[in-house]
Amino acid sequence: MKIVVTVKLVPDTSADKRIDPGTKRLVRSGVETVLNPFDEYAIEAALQLKEQLGSETTVTVCSMAPESGKEVVRKALAMGADDALLISDMALAGSDVPTTAAVLAAALRKHGFDLVLCGTQSTDAITGELPGMLAEMLGIPGLTYVRKLEIDGTTVRALRETETGYQRVSVSLPALVSVTKSINQPRYPALKGIMAAKKKTIAVQTLAEIGFDQPVGTDGAKIEVIALAAPAPRGKGRVVKSADADEGAHVIVEFLKEKKLL
Amino acid sequence: MRDVVVFIEHQGGTPRRVSLELATHAHELARALGGKACAVVVGAQAAQAAEVVRRYPLDRLYVAADEEAQAFAIEPEVAYLESVARTLGPALILVPNTMLGRDVGSRIAARLGAAIASDATEITIEGGRVAVVSPKLGGLTVTTCAFKNTDYGVVSVRPNVFAAREGEAAADVVPLAKLPGTVYRMKIEEEVVEEATELGVEEASVVVSGGRGLGGPEPFTTILHDLAQALGGAVGASRAAVDAGWIPHSHQVGQTGKTISPKLYIAVGISGAIQHKVGMRTAGTIVAINKDPNVPIGEFADLLVVGDLFQIVPQLTKKVREAQAVLA
Repeated sequence: MKIVVTVKLVPDTSADKRIDPGTKRLVRSGVETVLNPFDEYAIEAALQLKEQLGSETTVTVCSMAPESGKEVVRKALAMGADDALLISDMALAGSDVPTTAAVLAAALRKHGFDLVLCGTQSTDAITGELPGMLAEMLGIPGLTYVRKLEIDGTTVRALRETETGYQRVSVSLPALVSVTKSINQPRYPALKGIMAAKKKTIAVQTLAEIGFDQPVGTDGAKIEVIALAAPAPRGKGRVVKSADADEGAHVIVEFLKEKKLL
Repeated sequence: MRDVVVFIEHQGGTPRRVSLELATHAHELARALGGKACAVVVGAQAAQAAEVVRRYPLDRLYVAADEEAQAFAIEPEVAYLESVARTLGPALILVPNTMLGRDVGSRIAARLGAAIASDATEITIEGGRVAVVSPKLGGLTVTTCAFKNTDYGVVSVRPNVFAAREGEAAADVVPLAKLPGTVYRMKIEEEVVEEATELGVEEASVVVSGGRGLGGPEPFTTILHDLAQALGGAVGASRAAVDAGWIPHSHQVGQTGKTISPKLYIAVGISGAIQHKVGMRTAGTIVAINKDPNVPIGEFADLLVVGDLFQIVPQLTKKVREAQAVLA
């Protein structure tokens, strides 16, 4: 079985991001680029399936990223993925979510797949829209928010989280599955894995090489940023040291009344 | 873009409040665009949900009372919404920024080749052009985006930002027949409701969250749950609490969880590291309870009460209930 995991490269989540007031863009210098943390759960899910299904199962990691992202993607190979595919093209800068999904769909079609695994969302844009869009563009079922996943022959059985509980859902392969953090605990790359990853292939392909000829980047985007503003500042509020529970609770209740929240 | 189409999310025939917020706001947007405010409701209990939605100021309400829709995930909602959008022609499509809303919104955008704007907190129309305001990077910056080169625009709207107000029940109700030749593939074998009485953290107007300071799973279902219930809110959690396995991930607020804007956010035993802050800094009012006077959350909370959360929270629940009894 051919499993492909889509991943995104994002700024380190523990960094306090800021916007350059001049360029109005995210300041990336001094901030480390990492694998989107949500995607590590998708990689782990793929590796566990490979362990269950045997050596004929392959796990490929696929990302739309500049070639400089190679070393970040290598972490997925160190975890145990077999190889990686980067779609890198200068023209892609400024692409929106529909363009990203369309480019990934073209790359996946060319590469071939039985199962596509995604993280639920990225930690930078946080739209959570890519998995559904990619499934639509590939014309395959897309199970989102999955916290338990089983493959039985060509049947995918999953538990999908919902706002009020969960659904038990089944589909036939080929399919796309996006996983939540509840599904597993991603492994850390072991030294052996890190060494092995150095010899694994990271293929880099351009748009022409995957046969994608639609407009991309800001030209292809159907959305444009027309203004950027700083949010209203949130200053330090009141700090009250309560002598006991009664006083503490009293302070909060009075505050809520004052704010008309009670 | 002329007409406005709202996807109505409902739970067994009860519309989610955010759906009603969108149904209310659609009226204003449709007037500005010179089109009609429409809504689509799908499911076995669609007729029941439509009874409620009809009280809001819509021009037209499409009802797909389809038993089969109950047996499949996401696809029936998308299929009916697509058929309505194609019938109407160029339109602004509003979905709630919830788990289901994001699924429906991303797929309908793919099918229609539409633009999509996420997590809107404001939508304006000037000279027929739609502009969508949304906080990005966890509220670090606020962007205004416009659509271009597209007939359809999909906007996912953050719950709790627009008011839901009933209007004249004047909507034409249009029943939708089953879509011929449509095959659904994502079969729901079992649907389990775990927390029937609680709203999700994304939609609740009050969220009471717990962190590492709670020390274990038990306080989430006791003291935190009681306070959330007294305030009519939902229980949230920090990453530390979720990673420790004290509460499911669906409750997590923050960069690797949900980004929310409730009217009131109460952070109990949460330090307020950047990863948590980006998920809740756009809340209306933030109250923190912590034993440490120097926690980072004190830098941006409107009120930080320093003390023992295990003592203060139950006492607070009691006082909230007393205050509500007086008001009632």
